[in-house]
Amino acid sequence: MDEKIVLTGIARSKGKAAGEAAVNRQRMGWAFNHVGNEDGIVLVPGADLQGKSIIGKVVVYPTVMGSTTGAISLYYKCTQSHHGPAAIICQKVHDIDISGAIAGGIPAIDALDQDPIVTIKTGDWVEIDAPKVGQKATVTITRKG
Amino acid sequence: MAMKLTTHQQEMLDGKLGDTKKFCMEKLVDFGEAIEAKEMVDLVLVLNCCPIYSNDRQNPETKKKLEMYDLGHSPLYDPIFAMKDAHVADDTGTQCGNDPYLAQFDKVEEKGYPWNFELPGKGSFKVDPEMVTGLKAGYDKLTEHGWLNWMSCQPQVNTCIPKMGEYCASSESSAAAYINTILGARTNRESPINTVYAAYTGCLPKYGTHLDENRAAKCIVELDDETRDNMQGAGDWAALGACLAEKAENRIMAVLNLPKKMGPTATKQIVSACSPGMNDPIMHLMGYTPESPTLEAAFKGKMPKNPERFTVTMDDVVEMFRHINNIAPAPGPERAKPVDIVIFGCPVATFEEVREVARLVKGRKVKPGVMLWVQTDTANYHMAHHYGDAQIIEEAGGKIFHQTCMCMNPVRHYPQGITIATDSFKYVKLGGGFGMAWIFGNPPALVNAAVTGVFTPSARWDYFAKPRHDRLASEKERPLYSQPFVD
Repeated sequence: MDEKIVLTGIARSKGKAAGEAAVNRQRMGWAFNHVGNEDGIVLVPGADLQGKSIIGKVVVYPTVMGSTTGAISLYYKCTQSHHGPAAIICQKVHDIDISGAIAGGIPAIDALDQDPIVTIKTGDWVEIDAPKVGQKATVTITRKG
Repeated sequence: MAMKLTTHQQEMLDGKLGDTKKFCMEKLVDFGEAIEAKEMVDLVLVLNCCPIYSNDRQNPETKKKLEMYDLGHSPLYDPIFAMKDAHVADDTGTQCGNDPYLAQFDKVEEKGYPWNFELPGKGSFKVDPEMVTGLKAGYDKLTEHGWLNWMSCQPQVNTCIPKMGEYCASSESSAAAYINTILGARTNRESPINTVYAAYTGCLPKYGTHLDENRAAKCIVELDDETRDNMQGAGDWAALGACLAEKAENRIMAVLNLPKKMGPTATKQIVSACSPGMNDPIMHLMGYTPESPTLEAAFKGKMPKNPERFTVTMDDVVEMFRHINNIAPAPGPERAKPVDIVIFGCPVATFEEVREVARLVKGRKVKPGVMLWVQTDTANYHMAHHYGDAQIIEEAGGKIFHQTCMCMNPVRHYPQGITIATDSFKYVKLGGGFGMAWIFGNPPALVNAAVTGVFTPSARWDYFAKPRHDRLASEKERPLYSQPFVD
């Protein structure tokens, strides 16, 4: 039987999205050296998601690390090369990623009522409803039983 | 709308000052609302990255190349390039310029540089000419719009120097950290999306490290006396910066017991740890940071009775050298690891660094098949030619260049399996996942590596790599403190 968990947080970038969760316990960024613009593969040495594709995934990570070019690379992956995530969920979405998510047109959520790194598991199905920036967002997690 | 705008800002938003300013203000207001800013700040400096211009981004061949070379920022400029009234806000005192990028424009066809080289038996690289043409077209368009042609990631050191209390928008993290920490002006590690729009409006939502409360130290990191007295070389300073970031665990720190003299190279290298090591682009380097004459000031008047306190020792610095050398470890014998490329200057080399390389390589020859590269800014490039340092480096078989950042981004496409040696913590972190091996060291050992073709730990390294107890015991027999170390 599937398990369903509903969390609430704050939308830092608005939108609706759904996708498989990809959880990275380490800080990460979206710059070309962290996630390839041309293939969406995570390159960061030692990251949980190293070598894995994040295309269409709901990527969960603590907060940003590394270059400010993460903002433009996130925007590029979402709008130009179409190798971007469906949404991002962080303990705290850094301003660099807020800017990239807004320009990239994907939801970005933080301030959840449970730690997303602990609660969400890679492979979970995650649905996000984030209608307005700065307002409540709903994150629904479905785990296969 | 929650954000309070000045009359000028409102006029830009209302379209009274042209289409471009209206377009950019709308984007900035959107961002300001997302981060709940209350007002905007006027900027004196905007630092961003030059776009690769293309009039057909969806052409499959061009798209493929753009995905190889573009950082992702170039399409942001397309709507602005399509507007007839686009001009940066230089009329209201905002100076705008760009980072270095793919190649030095007047030497694109010359060999032996980061954009065009061959390593015998290992492979070669040449930057795509269409991308360089596109970059030059983007650069020319920005020049028409009033952007200044500095192409440096460190304009705040010698080209456009903001003063204490002024506001800037730097998407270059190391420049942001220098501007906050050493100059006392205020900038975030700004999103390069915002800096595009900020350039044309001259303003930006006030948030993050613009605000006093987000500049406050949260802990203290102190150098022990041995560390304070033994930092020498760009690698040491970079490793020290990485240690500070690590100790403070991504929090802003006040740093105590620093050496009495730290020049532009030392300060640049320390604070450039901020992008790879921490998120907030400010350190309170006590004795250097203008807004922090006292610890109380560094904590913005909210210093706890017993703030968390950490110490950096030489053992920590040595361990950081080991850590950086293990991010993408180089193969080969411990005392003779073959190198293919030796690069100085991330962030771009100061004149002091250029001169140091020239001094170290003078009268020697770089081993055939090995690249020795000195990456600097336009001002130092021409100074080095004027005063003879460039000629010394070139006579030895090295290259000095400007307008270029090897990691932005030719390095992604270099031959796999080669070994690059550098004194930049930032470069190892940036390039560590691209399939090359990286060696991190100090300039004397790096120049030796370029000359001999192998990286050998220095006598100084051997000394400090010993456990502290053994090292102090050996002092009694042969006091190294009183001697100049030979790397």
